[in-house]
Amino acid sequence: MSTHAANTAHDAHAHTHTVKRYRGLMDWLTTVDHKKIGILYLIAGFFFFLVGGAEAIMIRIQLLKPMNDFVAADTFNELLTMHGTTMIFLAAMPMLFALMNAVVPLQLGARDVAFPFLNSLGFWTFFAGGILLNLGWFDASAPDAGWTAYAPLSGPTFNGSRAMDYYVIGLQIAGIGTLLGGINFMATIINMRAPGMSFMRMPMFTWAIFITSVLIVFAFPVLTVGLVALMFDRLFGANFFESGTGGNEVLWEHIFWIFGHPEVYILILPAFGVISEVVSTFSRKRLFGYSSMVFALVLIAFLGFMVWAHHMFATGLGPVANALFSIGTMLIAVPTGVKIFNWLFTLWGGSIRYTTAMLFAVGFIPTFVMGGVTGVMLASAPADYQYHDSYFVVAHFHYVIVGGLILGIFAGLHYWWPKMFGRHLNEGLGKLTFWTFFIGFHLTFFVQHFLGLLGMPRRVWTYLPNQGLDNMNLISSIGAFLMGIGTIVFVTNVIITWLKPRNAEADAWEDGRSLEWTIPSPPPEYNFKQTPLVRGADAWWKEKMDGKTEMTPAEPVGPIHMPSPSILPLIMSIGLFIAGFGFMYDNLLATIGGLAVTFACMFLRSVFDDHGFHIDPEHEEVHA
Amino acid sequence: MASNHSSSEEVKRHRVEGPQKHIVAFVLSLALTIIAFAAVAAGDINTTFTYIILVAMAIIQVFVQLAFWMHMKDRGHLFPIIAIVAGVFVVFTAVITAVYWVWW
Amino acid sequence: MSAHQHAEGHLPHEPEKATLEGRNKILGFWIFLGAETVLFGTLFSAFIALRHQVLDGPHPSHLFELPMIFAATMILLTSSLMSVFAVQAMHNNKVKAMIGWLLVTILLGLAFLGLEITEFNTYVSEGHNMKTSAFSSSFYTLVGFHGAHVAFGVLWIGLLITQIFKKGLTVVTAPKIYLSAIYWHFIDVVWVFIFTVVYLMGKVG
Repeated sequence: MSTHAANTAHDAHAHTHTVKRYRGLMDWLTTVDHKKIGILYLIAGFFFFLVGGAEAIMIRIQLLKPMNDFVAADTFNELLTMHGTTMIFLAAMPMLFALMNAVVPLQLGARDVAFPFLNSLGFWTFFAGGILLNLGWFDASAPDAGWTAYAPLSGPTFNGSRAMDYYVIGLQIAGIGTLLGGINFMATIINMRAPGMSFMRMPMFTWAIFITSVLIVFAFPVLTVGLVALMFDRLFGANFFESGTGGNEVLWEHIFWIFGHPEVYILILPAFGVISEVVSTFSRKRLFGYSSMVFALVLIAFLGFMVWAHHMFATGLGPVANALFSIGTMLIAVPTGVKIFNWLFTLWGGSIRYTTAMLFAVGFIPTFVMGGVTGVMLASAPADYQYHDSYFVVAHFHYVIVGGLILGIFAGLHYWWPKMFGRHLNEGLGKLTFWTFFIGFHLTFFVQHFLGLLGMPRRVWTYLPNQGLDNMNLISSIGAFLMGIGTIVFVTNVIITWLKPRNAEADAWEDGRSLEWTIPSPPPEYNFKQTPLVRGADAWWKEKMDGKTEMTPAEPVGPIHMPSPSILPLIMSIGLFIAGFGFMYDNLLATIGGLAVTFACMFLRSVFDDHGFHIDPEHEEVHA
Repeated sequence: MASNHSSSEEVKRHRVEGPQKHIVAFVLSLALTIIAFAAVAAGDINTTFTYIILVAMAIIQVFVQLAFWMHMKDRGHLFPIIAIVAGVFVVFTAVITAVYWVWW
Repeated sequence: MSAHQHAEGHLPHEPEKATLEGRNKILGFWIFLGAETVLFGTLFSAFIALRHQVLDGPHPSHLFELPMIFAATMILLTSSLMSVFAVQAMHNNKVKAMIGWLLVTILLGLAFLGLEITEFNTYVSEGHNMKTSAFSSSFYTLVGFHGAHVAFGVLWIGLLITQIFKKGLTVVTAPKIYLSAIYWHFIDVVWVFIFTVVYLMGKVG
């Protein structure tokens, strides 16, 4: 490597001049830099988070009082479908991708991900799919069969309008992006670790992302097939889920949940990783039980693939299947419990700093435990016949997804914001975000447990007065508004921070443990001037404890090879976007044209090699 | 090749791969395919037994091809093996589902 | 890159693994194949679930013609052997032989596609189309997905041959050749299950 670098040292300047470097908007459209792609994911994900949040607020306004008519019943169906779909696929996952893009290569001591081009392609296909999915609002009707799109409700017989076509094709395109991301991060973590960083020295967030990527890679193709089948049913008259012509609706449920249950863990495992990092940093202690944490992650992932039918107890699979899936589901509580106790033991005796990130992490632990406990309750098949399709289920999954994942994302954003943008978020406003959001969250969803137990079914447009549901629905709606306020405070915080100078230190929290805190905030394009040598777990902490002020380099300073920016990923995604509309509107020209654009870009990418360019870090520093 | 004694290590690294093992794999695959087709063409064996033969032949053939043609028996293929095994594991659950839990 | 080019005369024994980019590509591609395994596996499970729902359409035992399926199987199996010879030629740095083997591979791939198109045409004329029954839908989706993969493979390998003519065998092109061969074998592996589960089991009933 070093000899190669020396050979090309004098070429370096020639390369920097020949490769086109974009500025401004074009820079963002063509970037293959994982840090910038992370920011793109964050912007897009947060935009969809606001859209999904607005939908949630509208749902809660409709349910504020009995017999309300704020929105029409069919609009309500669209709202709840789009709320779920948007939040899971277009808000939560992209924000996770934002964190993993921003942090994982830095924690590995890598200069970029394994496939920078695919990384960019993954973002743009996700974004094209997300936009397509939401365009349903401006057509006849948005998707309205629930985020699970159960057949036959989502099939052509009972859903003749284009509504569900937007769901099927939008998710299909967005799913490609997610799958590419999963492959990319698996390959990155396996191949791109800095010298000395064995698997068992990787930071816990990176481990969580590794396992998450594994889940993405093996779960998303199942969704792809399900969506293809549903698309063929809807657009080409196939009969997968049409019982009149031999199809089977339960098959959709199985396919959806074989994907869908791992998807739940795709959402929560990164949050586990964030919490591990934050708790350990702000307790100024090594993470308790590192290897059991890793083992628990792997076990959760494994079991996560074997429990999907607990979403289908009421389908009537029979006592044997129900018993098996009950036991499997309850087993997951064991590794999850291991993680909870490890966090508690990390906190125990630590010298704790209650920063905003730490508040979110500490709020996460009991909240997630509550979601987990209701999960074990739901896992009991006979009891599930009572809970099924009631607000109890709504309360449960919002406790794990909002109380788990969203609190985790907020913790991660406050923690890594200085690393991503070079500026600290305001701590006062951050704490205000936490308290409004946290209290609002519990107000909204705690009472929903009891609404469910009282018999309020989920997905209902309205309810009759004086059935014991009125007050709790009001409380729930007030909580939702409070969460909205919390989100607005966060946005305000971001805007205020934006106006401040970039003054974050490399080790922004002073107690950083992993490699991302050894490089400037925000990091230079090439991340590490010299690839660091990792001498133990918590690599940076170890060096600090040994009295060092920087990492031991594993290579001499030299020109650094960088991949060229490319506009192709954006154009490929636009091609898929056009082809998607072609499929929906039965327009052969648009379909073939769109796919032709995509394939043409693949052709160009294959034929013209990307030679990249070189950056001379010493030279750069003069300018900086 | 082997005549150059002075750089035996060079010879080892640049050894010419023979086609023999691939032809063996091909013949094996051929035989397994023919057995499967013959079992069906014969016609009068009982259905369950035929199914067992068919699935067994398919699985053996896939192992042969993965090992020889896709180089999975070679060094440095830990993660490829993990990837395929994990995929097969998910497929296994999906197929069990299709057989037992879709119609009842 | 200039450093790589004058090394062309003596490429390393396994040029596809000579660079980090090459090793990344190979690893990433295997992970992709793991995902493809799940994709085809799910298509298979949908087919297995629906394969008896023939309704008024022709029954698979009447529909399927074993000799034709056997011919298609032989063609694909042989093409898989051809592509392994291509990789071997690459490892032995015999570029011309490699291109020859790759050409034979795609010719056989085209022959397979020709047979499949004829087969589908015959079925449609016998009243077995996408809309006939759940069996027919899942049949066309599964076998069609495989056919689409073959078609993509033919285009891909074809494109690679032209690249070899232009750029020669380098540490940049070698991983592509290696991966296209792995992809081609994977398609053959999927076909093993298709002829077993779809055709032979369909024939048995």
